[in-house]
Amino acid sequence: MKLLLFTLFVLLTLGTYLATRWLFLTYRNPLLNPVFLSTVAIIALLQATGLTLEDYRPAKDAMTFLLGPATVALALPLYHNRQVLKKYALPVLSGVAAGSLTTMAAALVGGRLLHLDDGVLLSLGPKSVTVPIAVEISRLTGGDASLTAAFVVATGMIGSIAGPLLLTLCRVQSPVARGLALGTVSHGQGTAVALLENETAGAMGGVAMAIAAVFTALVAPYYLPLFLR
Amino acid sequence: MATNLIKITWQTVLLWLVFRLGGYLVGALHLSLPGNVAGMLLMFALLTSGLVKPALIEAASGFLLKHFAFFFIPISVGLMSFGPLVRQSGLALLAILLVSALAGAAVTGVSVQMLQRRREP
Repeated sequence: MKLLLFTLFVLLTLGTYLATRWLFLTYRNPLLNPVFLSTVAIIALLQATGLTLEDYRPAKDAMTFLLGPATVALALPLYHNRQVLKKYALPVLSGVAAGSLTTMAAALVGGRLLHLDDGVLLSLGPKSVTVPIAVEISRLTGGDASLTAAFVVATGMIGSIAGPLLLTLCRVQSPVARGLALGTVSHGQGTAVALLENETAGAMGGVAMAIAAVFTALVAPYYLPLFLR
Repeated sequence: MATNLIKITWQTVLLWLVFRLGGYLVGALHLSLPGNVAGMLLMFALLTSGLVKPALIEAASGFLLKHFAFFFIPISVGLMSFGPLVRQSGLALLAILLVSALAGAAVTGVSVQMLQRRREP
């Protein structure tokens, strides 16, 4: 029974992924984000059948096993783009740092305006960086680790859908700038969308993800308290 | 097809080893860096120094990066356990996440493109 459920979940996830990926690549519309559509479909199915997240977990653990090696693989497009990186070292560093500071400030100011309590605000702080480091920052500054993990995933989804639309609206066409922007605010998920745009954007997404993670870890403990009462 | 599959498999093992090595180094050196990012930087260093030839990881990297988005589906399904919080203040949180992500993306995107153009008019 457990094995059957496991197999069904893996097939279901693969199936929704392939179908939504096809949709996205056919219509090229950021609103048809494959991660978003697949997630909604799977959650709806779990809810409708009365199954829980605990039932899905073994399949989830198996399917995310290769995320580590896949992140290491980002070194290859980065290597192919090393000349671009060298040429634009300063814009890259300052652009990612500015974006990271902006997104943290906007989240905390917004949260205060909407009367969220300090625990939630501190959990929101590191939401734009990749999960393992966001969770550590959250622990360090007094946030709630599991809440932060949820914010990170939600941000990844929101930023990778709305980000490309806004960048196009702001006439940001350079693949370097688009990739960096998506990686800065939406870590791996932003990078995944950037990779769907083109290789250079994908490589820059990986770069931004790494720089934003290190930069945020360094400044968050001093920067976030500035926005609390 | 079969040879390609074998190639992808052992190249993935290689990527996985570097990923684990990255995690190990982070722990041993007490770095404030996630293991996967450390692994990526380590692999980049291996490629630039010429110790690892690009062809050695090309097949697996191409495959894994083509389907990079896939890994975030099972992770995102985990949001399900935050149903009560979403019902209570979902709209406020959605607004905050959306506005802050857009503000950050605009600042990075616009500033990088501007600085880029200044370098090559």
